[in-house]
Amino acid sequence: MPYRSVDRRRILAAAALGRSLDEPGPAPDEGDAFQAVTGELLDVSPHLILIETPEGRHERLVIAPWATAWRGENVAPADLPRGANVIIRALRSGRVVDRIWADITRITGVIRSIGAESRDQTVELYCGPHRGHRTIVVPYGASGRLRVRHPKFEPGYLFDAIGVREDGVAKARLPATSQPPYRWTAVPKPPPGYGGTQSRISGTATWSDAFDYAERGAAYPMLERSDADCQDTGVSCTGLPYLALGSTLTVRNVCAGRTSALPLAACGCMAGRFCDRCLECGTSPRGRIVELSATSFVELGGDLTKGCFNARIGPG
Amino acid sequence: MTWTLTMIAVAQLPVLCVLLAAGALAKVWTARGDAEPGALGRLGPAVLVPDRLRAPAMLVCAAGETALLTGLLASGHPAFRWAAAGFFAMSTYVLWELRRQRPDVGCGCFGEVSAAPVGLRSLGRTTVLTAMATGTVWAPPVSGWSLLTAMTWPDALAAAGGLVVLAALSPEIEEAAARIRHRAPCEQRPMPPEQALHRLRASTVWRAHERLLASGEPVDSWRELCWRFFVYPGRSRTDEPVDVVFAVYLSGRHPAVRVALVDATGQPVDAGTLTESIPVSARG
Repeated sequence: MPYRSVDRRRILAAAALGRSLDEPGPAPDEGDAFQAVTGELLDVSPHLILIETPEGRHERLVIAPWATAWRGENVAPADLPRGANVIIRALRSGRVVDRIWADITRITGVIRSIGAESRDQTVELYCGPHRGHRTIVVPYGASGRLRVRHPKFEPGYLFDAIGVREDGVAKARLPATSQPPYRWTAVPKPPPGYGGTQSRISGTATWSDAFDYAERGAAYPMLERSDADCQDTGVSCTGLPYLALGSTLTVRNVCAGRTSALPLAACGCMAGRFCDRCLECGTSPRGRIVELSATSFVELGGDLTKGCFNARIGPG
Repeated sequence: MTWTLTMIAVAQLPVLCVLLAAGALAKVWTARGDAEPGALGRLGPAVLVPDRLRAPAMLVCAAGETALLTGLLASGHPAFRWAAAGFFAMSTYVLWELRRQRPDVGCGCFGEVSAAPVGLRSLGRTTVLTAMATGTVWAPPVSGWSLLTAMTWPDALAAAGGLVVLAALSPEIEEAAARIRHRAPCEQRPMPPEQALHRLRASTVWRAHERLLASGEPVDSWRELCWRFFVYPGRSRTDEPVDVVFAVYLSGRHPAVRVALVDATGQPVDAGTLTESIPVSARG
């Protein structure tokens, strides 16, 4: 069935059910909002950073004295290379830099094959029907850290890491989770839903780079297969309600106490396969319940290098 | 004859007490477990007040029910019986208003179990409760507790009759049965779109709007919680191109079906006199 647009679905559903048509966005009255600013780094000094946004605008931001940057490892903001793609967590209406991540990428998928190029390893991953196949490099220097958290480093098992893009190649640097011990097709079943209608669900929120660079939105695992044109969706080890592309999801970062309403813009078929926990602030219940765009993740107070936060979600 | 009617009327007092106790407990349970986003967003008159007041509103309602329950149990004074009749009459009006303003939300009468959209059955139930409460006003002034402790067989039969009528008017029972059978609430149960389409085409709402459609095949369809939406291209009464969107509730044998006409700019279009002649098929 032809799928039209996320916005149109929201309008039509509101009209049919007589709901108010609230625009997605952060919840009001939550203090100084974080703003994510993305773009290509044009120039940087210890106190100022100049970037070109995807729309072609030049943005000049003040770097706070406490601000840090990450590009494969923690670096001083002034040491970032020109031309890097950065995502900035900014305060004060987006004018003051709090944290910078440069050339960061999230590598989430199923291991298909593992090859070796000298001491580095090349891994081919299946990242779901929408992202397809992806080849990444596990540098020798990072392999110890990654293998400790991925004990089943073999085809058919899940892989999740945070890395950097260098010369068009994604290089894994940090493990983003402890690898689930089952094959990707053997996801545990959710517990029976004796609890009745759920209006809120707790679990893990992660981020993904499957979204456009400055896009705000979320990917959700529990979509009807016929609606999402995706045979891998509808799998989760958490009892999630069915939603659709175009639904609005309220996501609360329990660790940072920030809430935002986000449109579902993608199918989170790979996220649903991870029955892991987030240890960001206490231990979350099992299961990835939502995957956010990098921009939305940052604006909800998440740290891209940590990869997750404990979240509570609810429809609408 | 008068004696029989009086006996039936007074026997409804324990029924009212049971309903009030169940309603208050379920509301407290739902409000207590709900302090997070999206919560209470689909339940009862609480949706008519701002977000932050929803849990308190539910608790206030539960407190009112508890006060009535205590009064009916402890005393035979007609004031409590009049208050109960007033409470149920007001509930009927609130549900009617809720159905008009927010057709997607449940009545919340028994907390989260009452998630099915308010239909004629829910309205019928509060009407019957109003009648029962009004009937007790003319019954002998005995306390509910003394009635319960000294219940005779004819009283018990009359009370059981009242409970059966209320059960027949309770959509919650179908959802509870489905939960026992499927072990998952409606929004977690997979449901093929074809089944929802079949239910849509069997509805009176579909028959009333079928002539507005430019095509028999939907151009978009999606599922959200316990609703499935179907969008058809169509023409409004003034011959403007519109999207006709149907929403079908996925639980119950006679599910609620809603419809709206939306123009290209996203504004709802009035279906004119058409809607006034449409019997709503919401019996769930």
